[in-house]
Amino acid sequence: MTTAGEDLIRRMTAGDRDAFSRFYDRYSPLVFPLILKIVRDRADAADVLQDVFWEAWQGAGSYDSNRGTPEAWMITRARTRAIDRIRAVRRRGETFVPPVDEGLAPAPPEPGGDAAERAEDRGVIRTALETLPQAQREVIELAYYAGLTQTEIAERLQQPLGTVKTRIRLGLERLREVVRRAT
Amino acid sequence: MNDHETYETLAAVYAVGALEGDDLARFEAHLAEGCDRCEVIVRESREAMARMALTATPAVPPPEVKAALHARIDAATRPFRASRRGWLTWAAATAVVAALAVMVASGVVASRYEAKLGQVAREVAAERERLKRQEAALRALELLRDPATRVVELRGTSGAEVMARVIWNDKAGGQLIVANLPPAPAGKAYELWALGGAQPRPAGLFQVDADGRAAQTVDAGGEPPKGFAVTLEPATGVPAPTGPIVMASR
Repeated sequence: MTTAGEDLIRRMTAGDRDAFSRFYDRYSPLVFPLILKIVRDRADAADVLQDVFWEAWQGAGSYDSNRGTPEAWMITRARTRAIDRIRAVRRRGETFVPPVDEGLAPAPPEPGGDAAERAEDRGVIRTALETLPQAQREVIELAYYAGLTQTEIAERLQQPLGTVKTRIRLGLERLREVVRRAT
Repeated sequence: MNDHETYETLAAVYAVGALEGDDLARFEAHLAEGCDRCEVIVRESREAMARMALTATPAVPPPEVKAALHARIDAATRPFRASRRGWLTWAAATAVVAALAVMVASGVVASRYEAKLGQVAREVAAERERLKRQEAALRALELLRDPATRVVELRGTSGAEVMARVIWNDKAGGQLIVANLPPAPAGKAYELWALGGAQPRPAGLFQVDADGRAAQTVDAGGEPPKGFAVTLEPATGVPAPTGPIVMASR
């Protein structure tokens, strides 16, 4: 079965601008919070968002539904570009690594269609992250949202590198398990 | 811990983008040997993190972004504008610019037939690639109006006919134009580095098209570069070069 998102991507491959417009309306509100959470500046986040969708328009042909949903495709892209942005800024010495101070903010479920579907498993999955031991959650967040490498995480937490790696593995094992059960 | 458990740990760290150095090289070599189990771990972990990210409350981005995207698509679809013609003539004075102008002129012909090509998706995709290159050419022309802009040539280190140019302006940034570069292997991308500071500054990831060409905008920033190099890296990019140098300026 083809989802509406996949259909839009296929039409984008054929240069359908109307499909792109609908694709943007559908996915930009989903990826924008992630970009904002990573870059922490609204103007920067808007720049990154533009690049992410520009790449999606140009790279629509490279989407492969066997390798993930359109949501995951866009989230992965958005995360990569947002991390590129903060790493570049960090290297220029304009900022230090901010603490990961916000957990995932609770999201009120909103009514209707897709959103309602997402809200359903959102509850389960959000709880999953929250129920991870703090030590596992912390290393995953530092990697995924702050873009730190394993060595940087080890230095920052003053933990042996092996401990950091193991925590990431254990945390992800648990998260994968929850997602598998929720699907 | 048996041997494969070590790789499963590396797979998880890889999936959240935190693997680096020797571990990264070791794990990528393992993946390249075709380990299905590790591939599944990476894919499922990324999917799980994406699902996690999607639990955030949706937020509508600023409306300018959509407007800017439409303008960008418009610009790419109609690359030749009357207002640019005046300085196109002016710019044709130098050989480099003349070559770029030929690319732009071919775009006029190409866009005339675009409606017909639109019937065939594959052809349109190829066309869009070409329009993207023309957009790059126009940006390069704009950069070249500034006398402070320089053109840096990069040559393949393997002696092949790989070559690239970076049209660079310390204030405005630059434009990378690549020819004859083989496509990066799966999971890899080319990364451009600005050289001259204490450490190479990452200046963007890129892929080449089927003809080995690429055109990419390079952001300004950091120390004014003394040169550029391109390395082969994991597709997600790395903060400091780890892969082989594919080409470099002299």
